[in-house]
Amino acid sequence: MLFSMQSILEGFNLKKQANELGVSIWRSPGFLFILMGIIIISSMLAVYFVFNNPDSVEYLLLSEFTLVLVLFTVGNSIISGVDEIARANKMKTEFVSIASHQLKTPLSEINWEMELLVSKFSEGLNEKQRELIANVNNSNARMIRLVNDLLDVARIDQGRLPLVREELDIIDIIEDVIDNNKNLAKSHNVEVNIRNYGSVPKLVGDRKRIVVVLDNLLSNSIKYTKEKGSVDVAITPEKDRIVVCVKDEGVGIPKKQQKNVFHKFFRSDNAIKNQTEGTGLGLYIAKNVIVQSGGEMWFDSEENKGSTFCFSLPLKKNDKFYSVSM
Amino acid sequence: MDKKKLLIVEDEPVLNKALQDFMTAEGFEVVTAIDGEEGIRKAQSEMPDLILLDIILPKKDGYEVIREIKADEKTKNIPIILLTNLGSINDVEKALELGATTYLVKADYKLEEVTQKIKSVLGMA
Repeated sequence: MLFSMQSILEGFNLKKQANELGVSIWRSPGFLFILMGIIIISSMLAVYFVFNNPDSVEYLLLSEFTLVLVLFTVGNSIISGVDEIARANKMKTEFVSIASHQLKTPLSEINWEMELLVSKFSEGLNEKQRELIANVNNSNARMIRLVNDLLDVARIDQGRLPLVREELDIIDIIEDVIDNNKNLAKSHNVEVNIRNYGSVPKLVGDRKRIVVVLDNLLSNSIKYTKEKGSVDVAITPEKDRIVVCVKDEGVGIPKKQQKNVFHKFFRSDNAIKNQTEGTGLGLYIAKNVIVQSGGEMWFDSEENKGSTFCFSLPLKKNDKFYSVSM
Repeated sequence: MDKKKLLIVEDEPVLNKALQDFMTAEGFEVVTAIDGEEGIRKAQSEMPDLILLDIILPKKDGYEVIREIKADEKTKNIPIILLTNLGSINDVEKALELGATTYLVKADYKLEEVTQKIKSVLGMA
C-alpha cells in the first residue's frame, strides 16, 4: 500500500523525471500532463459558464479562440519534445556506429602485432611470457567481438543490418555449431543431442549469421547448466517453415524478467549470478537476424528447471526473405 | 620457385608494417604503398603478383585504385584482395564488381588466414 502510494508520488516528482529524460521541467511529460488536466477542467467550466449566458457570443468566440491557442501551444511543445528525443536517439546510434568503426583499426593492429610476435618473433620467449601474450590475445578477441556486436546493434537500430541470401543446410550448420561447442560442453559436463523429427529441406538465409544465432543459443544453454545435464537441439519441419529448438536443464529465467529477454543489454539475475562474461546483446541480435530472415524467435523458461529457445526459418520456396540494403 | 611479389596498399602504418613483416617471413617479396596514388604507381612499376588493397585511403580511395589498375592493359590481370574494416556487404560488392578478386575483414582475420587467402588466390595452396 505504502509502496503504491510512493510510486504515484514518484510520478509527480517532476524534477526527477525531467532530470532522467534530460529535458527542462516545462517539457517533462508529468508537467505537460498536469497542464493538460488543468486546461481541460477550465475549458469545461468555461463551456458550462457560456451555456448559462447564451447572449454573449463575443465571449464564446474569444474563449474558444484562447482555448484553441493554448491547446495548440501545449500540443506543439509535446510534439517538439518527442521530436528531440527521436533525434537524440538517432544521434546516439550514429555515435555508436562511428565509435565502433574507429575502434576497429587499433584492435586489428593489436591483433596482428600480437600474432606477428607469437608466430614469427617468438624466439627467447619463456612459458610465462607466452601465457601472458595468450591472455592479451583473448582479451583483445573479446573486445573485437564486443565491438562487432555494438556495430550490429547500431545497424539493427538504423534498419540496415546486411544479410546475405544463400542456400542453407540447417543440419550441417547445427552439427558445425555443436562441434565448435564441444570443449565448452565437456567443461560444463553437458551432453548435447540432436533430435530430428522429419526430413529437412533446404532453407534460404545468411549462413554466417544463422551460425552465430545458433551458437548463441547453444553456448547459453551450456553455460547456464549449473552442474551437469543435457541439452537437446530439436529440428521440426513444418508446412512452410523449419523450427529449431534448444532445450536445457539449466538455471532458467525468473518469471518477472522474462519479458525483457530480447531487449538489448538485458541480462537476467540468474545470468549475472552464474556467468560474469556476456554483454546482453547476443539474443537481441539473434532475434533481429531471425526476424529479418522471415522467421520468428521465442522461448519458454522456468526457474531452476531450464529454458527452451526456439526459432523458425522459412523454407526455400517461400521467397519472403528480407534483404535490407545499405 | 621464384619469390612471389606482393604490393600492400594500406595507410595505417602499424597494419602496413605488420603485414609486411609477416609476409616477408612467409617468404614473399613485399613492396608497400601508403596511399592510392602511390599504390597505382607501384603497381605499374613493380608489377606485383598480387595486391592487398585497403578501401579507405588518402589521395585516391580503393575503388579508384581498382578502376585504374583494371583499366591499364599492363596491370589489369593482377589479382586484388581487398582489406576492409567495414564488413558491410554493399561496399565489398561494389569493389568485387569493379574487379577485385576477393576480400577480407581486417579485425576478423588472423595474419595466418590472410596468408592462406593470398596463397589460394596465387594457386600456391
